[in-house]
Amino acid sequence: MSEPAAPPERTASQPDSTRTGPGRLLIAIYALFALAASARAGVQIATKFGHAPVAYLLSAFAGVVYILATVTLAVGSPAARRIAVLSCSVELAGVLAVGTWSLADPATFPDATVWSGYGSGYGFVPLVLPVFGLLWLRRWTRRPRTRRTTTMSTEDAGEGGRRRNP
Amino acid sequence: MRAERSDLACRDRLLKCALPGPAPVTTKRSNVSSVNGAVPTTIIVAGLVLAGYALLMTARNRRMSVPLLAAVGVLEILLLVQVGVIVARLAGGERPAGLATLIGYLIAMPFIPVAAAFWGLAERSRWGPAVIAVAGLVAAVLMVRLHQIWPVIHV
Repeated sequence: MSEPAAPPERTASQPDSTRTGPGRLLIAIYALFALAASARAGVQIATKFGHAPVAYLLSAFAGVVYILATVTLAVGSPAARRIAVLSCSVELAGVLAVGTWSLADPATFPDATVWSGYGSGYGFVPLVLPVFGLLWLRRWTRRPRTRRTTTMSTEDAGEGGRRRNP
Repeated sequence: MRAERSDLACRDRLLKCALPGPAPVTTKRSNVSSVNGAVPTTIIVAGLVLAGYALLMTARNRRMSVPLLAAVGVLEILLLVQVGVIVARLAGGERPAGLATLIGYLIAMPFIPVAAAFWGLAERSRWGPAVIAVAGLVAAVLMVRLHQIWPVIHV
């Protein structure tokens, strides 16, 4: 207990990777959902797969997508960012598709998935998360940092990366 | 100065919340349900207070601080106490319907504040406290989930 509080200085420095700044928060939430979705699917598939196979397989799929997004956001290289954009897009499409499907055909989902009801069981975080993920990644494909990312910028500065985003 | 005082006040609040916490440990094999609810309720309050405080730090553009880490430590202790209470119940022969899920929660629970502390400390900006806020909210939500998995765990 030498310092009672952090120095109240302003921290104006720009994040220099997808894992810093707001990305730090995003990755924390992604990691949480990666754990929640995959652990839940693992338990359900192992103990009562026959009860709601579609729901459990979709939960497992969601878990894989969250793990992929967490890892690629944390790595932050141009290739990883591309995979991150892809997994965030799949996640957004998944939550919209499964959300609609679960409302239209509740019989297929006797047990909920992470994406049921557009993620209503998880405070709609699954719906909001990919949007913020894509916004964060978009920022990186539009304005590559000169510091520490000079080698990446030539590859990534073009329009190609931007058009991937929905 | 003002920030420091509010930090201390908040830590005091957390510590006061923590005081009734350890009591249920002594009720190991008894089924005194009225005492049983104290720890989860304390965790919910402490988690929400921590989240609010951490978000305030984010809003005020502050980095991780010692008071914030101390509060995370208090939350960690509370969660460990809760794990102990549930393990004692399981050792007493009681079983919930979703035993596998409950064990998963018991394993994951103590890692939440620790992981958040390390991940938040690695950040040198306002987004470090934001990670801590997530841990506080998750701790509160976990208690509600625990009650859903095993209703004998009162909230």
